[in-house]
Amino acid sequence: MVLTGRVGTSVGQTRRQLLGAGLAATTLAGCGAFDDKPAPVATPDPLQPLLDEALALAAGYDRVVVARPALSARLAPLAADHRTHAADLAKLIGASASASAAPADARVESAAADPIAALRAAELAAQKTAVAACLAAPVDRAGLVGSIAACRATHAEALR
Amino acid sequence: MNGQLAAAMAAEVAAIYAYGIVGVHLGNAAQVAEARAAETAHRGRRDYLLGKLEQPAADPAGYDLPFPVTDPASALRLAVHVEDGVAQAWRPVLGVTQGPDREAALAALTDAAVRASRWRRIARVSPATMAYPGMAS
Repeated sequence: MVLTGRVGTSVGQTRRQLLGAGLAATTLAGCGAFDDKPAPVATPDPLQPLLDEALALAAGYDRVVVARPALSARLAPLAADHRTHAADLAKLIGASASASAAPADARVESAAADPIAALRAAELAAQKTAVAACLAAPVDRAGLVGSIAACRATHAEALR
Repeated sequence: MNGQLAAAMAAEVAAIYAYGIVGVHLGNAAQVAEARAAETAHRGRRDYLLGKLEQPAADPAGYDLPFPVTDPASALRLAVHVEDGVAQAWRPVLGVTQGPDREAALAALTDAAVRASRWRRIARVSPATMAYPGMAS
């Protein structure tokens, strides 16, 4: 990656230099097959980030409810929506819906002064991810992913 | 694609009609303003669809309401019903479009779903959201 990035930015390169760099990158990548390292993982499904995000959002709601049980009635249905998305996405792409690899930046909301506002911001950011995923999705996935995007927008509305 | 767009058109036209009735029965000025904004949004979508459809159907003269609207509570119920219906009509458009057309359909689905949630919140219906807006339950 670094090799091609560095070479690609330079306009004055000759074709031979570019070809050489390309070959070098190919050779380097090819070495992996003979290493002791584990085989590279298969390319993740394009919907994997959406699944991870659904789990991270659900976990975020859980943390806020633990800190503020009075919010449970309001927040639990929203967390449940995300868990439904995660389960259905996992089924669709053949992944696990129990991964707990919530990114660190999803953990800010429980510490925030206004956890509702933090959750709302997280929903709006997640809506953007889902919109992009819907626009890139093949026809048979567009409806499901579109509904997930719309759901995240309605959560932001419910948190107003 | 035309079948799905025609269904979206029918839902938008029905929504415009319904908001005329909703607005008359709502309880306060803020809600009436909300209904007016929603009606304007649906008119915008209808106009968008007019430009997309090869043969737009003529507006039918009237609609059968799913239930009588006589007071603020039933007016809010109709607003929720109408927005759920619009979301359900737009969702199938996603699978028959690409690029900017799909983006427009997703925006229409999302806006309807958000308004449905807003009306549920105003009507104190809980939960105000569902996992899959646009999917008939």
